[in-house]
Amino acid sequence: MAGQGPERREILRILSLASAAAEFPGLTKWAFAFDDPPKNGLAQGPKKTYKPQFFTTEEYETAEILCDLIIPSDETPGAREAGVSEFIDLMASRDAEIQPKFRSGISWLDARSQASRQKPFRAVSKEEQTGILEHLAYREKHRPGEEQGRAFFNLIREYTLMGFYTSRIGFAELDNPSLRQFYEKDPLGCTHVNDREHKHLSPIRQ
Amino acid sequence: MAKVYDVIVVGTGAGGSTVMKTLCEAGLNVVALNSGPRVIPSMHYGNHRRRFELQYRGFGDPKTKNQRHGGCDSEITTDLFEHEIRYTVAPGGQWVWTRCKGTGGKANFWGRSSARFGDIDFKGASRDGHDVDWPITSEEISPYYSRIERMVGVSSTVQNRPSNPDGDYLPAFGHRCMDWIVKSACDEIGVPYLPDRIAQLTVDHNGHPACHYCGGCRTGCDSGSFFSPTWYFIPAAEKTGKLELRTDAHVKNVIVREDGQAAGVSYIDRATRKEVEVYAKVVVLAGSCCETAKIMLNSKSRHWPTGIANSSGQLGRNLVDHLYASAAHGILPRLAGQPSRPDNASSSTVCWMPRWQNLKNPFEEEFIRGYSVYVGGGCQEYPSYASHFEGFGSEYKRKIRKYYPTPVSFGIQAPSLVSEKNYIDIDPVVKDIFGIPVARFHYQWGPNELKMWEHAKEVCADILRRADGENWGAGAKPQPPGHSLHETGPCRFGNDPKKFVTNRWSACHDVPNLYVADASMFPTPTDKTTTISILAFALRSCDHIIEGFRQGSFG
Repeated sequence: MAGQGPERREILRILSLASAAAEFPGLTKWAFAFDDPPKNGLAQGPKKTYKPQFFTTEEYETAEILCDLIIPSDETPGAREAGVSEFIDLMASRDAEIQPKFRSGISWLDARSQASRQKPFRAVSKEEQTGILEHLAYREKHRPGEEQGRAFFNLIREYTLMGFYTSRIGFAELDNPSLRQFYEKDPLGCTHVNDREHKHLSPIRQ
Repeated sequence: MAKVYDVIVVGTGAGGSTVMKTLCEAGLNVVALNSGPRVIPSMHYGNHRRRFELQYRGFGDPKTKNQRHGGCDSEITTDLFEHEIRYTVAPGGQWVWTRCKGTGGKANFWGRSSARFGDIDFKGASRDGHDVDWPITSEEISPYYSRIERMVGVSSTVQNRPSNPDGDYLPAFGHRCMDWIVKSACDEIGVPYLPDRIAQLTVDHNGHPACHYCGGCRTGCDSGSFFSPTWYFIPAAEKTGKLELRTDAHVKNVIVREDGQAAGVSYIDRATRKEVEVYAKVVVLAGSCCETAKIMLNSKSRHWPTGIANSSGQLGRNLVDHLYASAAHGILPRLAGQPSRPDNASSSTVCWMPRWQNLKNPFEEEFIRGYSVYVGGGCQEYPSYASHFEGFGSEYKRKIRKYYPTPVSFGIQAPSLVSEKNYIDIDPVVKDIFGIPVARFHYQWGPNELKMWEHAKEVCADILRRADGENWGAGAKPQPPGHSLHETGPCRFGNDPKKFVTNRWSACHDVPNLYVADASMFPTPTDKTTTISILAFALRSCDHIIEGFRQGSFG
């Protein structure tokens, strides 16, 4: 039982990874997102079209837009690169309780957008989409009568966080220590020996 | 004639595996019965899979979400948990019953916090007049704790607090940045903030390698660097050649002889669905606290019309649990913008606030006894604090990154007092898939543990304030009873056969060749977790069993 070196553990990990990956046909970006990054860069991945299992094509397009607005691709990759909408579609496809909430929520957004712009949410400009969401996202901008919209925004935001921050891209975004497999000795010890109360640290990350 | 073993052990978890190992090493022939399959680490454990390598990212298949209780019953481990055999909860009550049916039980995935019980726990009634004292002293159990600690390896420091007795420890884990911040706030108000006692190896120990800090503990340890029956006591028992381990053997009841003593047990072979009988001179039940009580209550005969060894009427009574609830959670802005650190690499509690209330006489608090608090935080695997922030877009994304090292949470571990209202019995109507009557729970939290929670909310809010923290509040309600997995009491031990199911060796008063070796034996709850004490008390029971065989008490 002793003497299980890192090599053996790494082999186990790779074996389990291979068997797990084999089980997920159809998940293009997401499968890509949990695989080891290809040597020739992120953008080189195969561009396949994802076939949603729960959402209609239109709903799926809307969900993709929402994920992108919530965790955008900016100075670092976002929900789009991490395939978050595929994760949400998979989770929803297996959850009868949550399905009506996603479906009616997207309908609510479309109705909201139709009322002001005569177009569904996915067809209005990014600025207009952002404008609609701001009223749902910020307490000081809340409007009466939009309770259902706010509940849906919270729901899709939660699922976007779940999908993004559990992807390899999301782990890298936070420099999540779990990306590293193991440590030779206890890595917990704080190194700020002259500032144990941590009152004089200077931030290095924004 | 059917084979008669020396000992049948029911259950192969913390208690059962201790008994199997100890009795096999003493040369006794042991047959162990386990309700589910054999756990094979390379097959059943997490083995360094990270969330992005899991189909449902560690949240589990939504289709089966209602059958999982969370905690150790997770996406990776769920097949090892009992979802077929149901239980019921009486109206007005609440209980979640998480049962691991794989060999080693929940001790494959436990939290590893391993404080010893002490005289503050054993002499509670003498100190405050409530309920009963334990029939043993700290001095008497201490050598057993030491033996167990030396076998399994526990990491901590010597702290010289009689309410939280010291043991034989390996080097402790280091304090994280958040630990120093919270500790400095605790120091100001005189609340202890100390290294927990953690059954996890900071150095190589007894042939088991030191922790490699992968953080995957809750899905099983791939290298056996913390105690589990799977890596420690089951292999040790098998090495003796004295053990026969039968898997998929779901025990139904204890069989009695003509004189009312235990003759063996009857179990359902899950593979064939047939009932099988097995015989022994001694039966040890260690199926986990409530499963043991259920088996005994289901063991009715002309000698024992209300369940075996139940002349006291106390079998199934005195059920208690730890109330688990959030006392506060929030962030420590002093750490905002700092580089990420592997704060969760040991996946352990690292530090805790062991009971500091009501240690002196007269007692200073309105509640009886006391509670402990576990503190978590720092860079975690999943940024759940992000849900608390408003907004969306690039600014939101940057904020989540900036605050990654800052979360902190305070979880209370509050013992419930024994209550007439809280017990387990057999459902008079419902039967499981094998036709066995199911366990029925009667349970609700009482005022004393809820008072402790209110107290903890105030203290933790004060600590957060002193640490320049933002307090986002306590939980709206406690976790349901059963959640902590620290239930104790339904076969509790004591000297008086009229009042207690088992004696000070955890043998039944009525049936001296029937022992219990799980948390069902503990008479009253404490602020401490139960696993290390199950090991120590089971080891002590084994001494009694071995002595009994030596003297020929079991025929």
